Amino acid sequence: MGLTGRLAIRNLARNRRRTLLTAMIISLSLTALMFTDALIQGMTDTMVRSATRLYSGDAQIHHRDFLARQDESRVIDDPQAVLEQLAREPEVAGFAARTLAFGMVSSAANNRAVQVVGIDPEAEAGVSKIAGAMIAGDYLSEAGPVTQLLIGDRLAELLEADLGDRIVVSVNNQLSEAAEQQLFRVSGIFHLNARAMDENLAFIRLPEAQSMMGLDGAVHEIAFNMTSASLATDTSLGLWQRLSNDRWVAQGWTELMPQLATMLQLTNSSTIIAGIVLFILAGLGVINGLFMSIYERTYEFGVLLAIGTRRRQLFKLIMTEGLILALGAIVIGLILGVLLITWSASVGIDYGSMEVSGVALAEIIRPQHRFMQYSALPFWVLIMTLVACIYPAIHAARIVPAKALHKSL
Amino acid sequence: MSSVIETRDVSKHYGEGDTLVKALDRVSLGIAPGEFTAIVGPSGSGKSTLLQLMGGLDNPTHGQVHLANKDITQMSGRELSDFRRDHIGFIFQAYNLIPVLTAAENCEYIMLLQGVPEAERRERVYAMLERVGLAGREGRFPHQLSGGQQQRVAVARAMVSRPNIILADEPTANLDSQTGSDLLDMMHDLNRNEGMTFVFSTHDPMIMERASRLIRLKDGCIDSESEREA
Repeated sequence: MGLTGRLAIRNLARNRRRTLLTAMIISLSLTALMFTDALIQGMTDTMVRSATRLYSGDAQIHHRDFLARQDESRVIDDPQAVLEQLAREPEVAGFAARTLAFGMVSSAANNRAVQVVGIDPEAEAGVSKIAGAMIAGDYLSEAGPVTQLLIGDRLAELLEADLGDRIVVSVNNQLSEAAEQQLFRVSGIFHLNARAMDENLAFIRLPEAQSMMGLDGAVHEIAFNMTSASLATDTSLGLWQRLSNDRWVAQGWTELMPQLATMLQLTNSSTIIAGIVLFILAGLGVINGLFMSIYERTYEFGVLLAIGTRRRQLFKLIMTEGLILALGAIVIGLILGVLLITWSASVGIDYGSMEVSGVALAEIIRPQHRFMQYSALPFWVLIMTLVACIYPAIHAARIVPAKALHKSL
Repeated sequence: MSSVIETRDVSKHYGEGDTLVKALDRVSLGIAPGEFTAIVGPSGSGKSTLLQLMGGLDNPTHGQVHLANKDITQMSGRELSDFRRDHIGFIFQAYNLIPVLTAAENCEYIMLLQGVPEAERRERVYAMLERVGLAGREGRFPHQLSGGQQQRVAVARAMVSRPNIILADEPTANLDSQTGSDLLDMMHDLNRNEGMTFVFSTHDPMIMERASRLIRLKDGCIDSESEREA
């Protein structure tokens, strides 16, 4: 190791407490940045999963005018062809056809406007979490009676209905253009942990729904999940074209829930702003630490300059000190970051079903490791530290030897 | 004999108007090679300022400083650094060794800046430390040495790079009389045996006794000069 390196290391070792404190500012900033990124990743993933995998699916196919007009006559009239195409797509993990109708549910005590959804129980279980969200009674079954009805716990409360109670479901029949009523019995009560769903959804079997709505085998929606949730945001995939034609269109969740996509973008922006603030604070800490060290050694720098050290060499010495400090601190920060993220991912962070932008964080959030936490973040922390060192290094290099040695020469 | 160092009408002023202080006022003098010169005078007479200007540590307000026939007041910062490194040795009142370097490393530092090969550096450092009576203490850090030993390292550091001139500011001020006397004898020997030029700024009668030339400053001007057999 050259003399500059030796000098730098020994200078850092001179005041261990100050060096440690300055290093901790850098280390903890890196750890905080890593953890923030891991948490945001975990939260984003949970939010997307909560928004998509809970009920709606990663992507959906509708008649091109259905969503814009909410017109129940706009249907996918040949769902079998689409379902077969979905079965051929390697990126698709599960799919389910649905009918959607705005209707009325009436109990002996109350009535309420809800969305009546017709589902294929088996296929639906591969897309949404309804089957696993039952808190009373049973999930819909093909073998059971045609009067099976699932409602959310909040809707049950509003209707003052319980398992086995009779509920009249009314929807519009598209053929007769008249209201169609049918008696059902509450066969199951679910709790999806999302207020809007637990209060406003009622599920019946698909054939009964199609019959009541006069759809003759047609459906309003085909929801599907991808093998990886992130694929749903990849607009370059060929399946979007293959699953769309001039009558219906396949869309990922970013198109179906633009408000959620925007919110996640805002979250990313917030993370960047938080990162910048952390960088500034850490940078100021480094500047402060190095300046204290430089002021303490002004006399020494005067000597070094007097005996022939070039200003550039003095600048290099301070930058070397900063580099060694940063590298040491980054190693500590990485270790702390790995431990913190791993630990918090194992225990999870429970937001208590808090809703963000209408999406319930139904699952425990588990911070996620990402490659950039161990590459880009340490790199930027290193750059930040070196940039913070420039000002003190210039200050040291500009010391006038005669003034620094005022007490002596 | 030509001067190794020469000041021509050198002035150094601080402040302006009513607060103007003339630390040095039109001082002209020459130091010949091999001299053992003491600049003396009361506090505030300009001794340290003169030494600073001779060493290129500060620029004069007016006048020129020639060192080895070069006007150092016209040099760039880098040229001046290199010039100090190659031609001037400094000994400071408070030793001013680099605390994180050992005695040997302190001496080696300047030669490292000069680009002297490692083997030669080691040889010269060890020889010089032996010369100043510090053989066996090469690996000690300054805080592990006494004041006198630290000042010996400072002398070794100043001389090991073989400068044309050594400027020493009150080198005995922080030493007891016996240690100071021993150190001066050592420097005097180096002056006589190696022809090294020494310029002191001092109040110390021991230095004045040994000096071959005394330059007395008063209020920033040369008050008197005397030469004698040292």
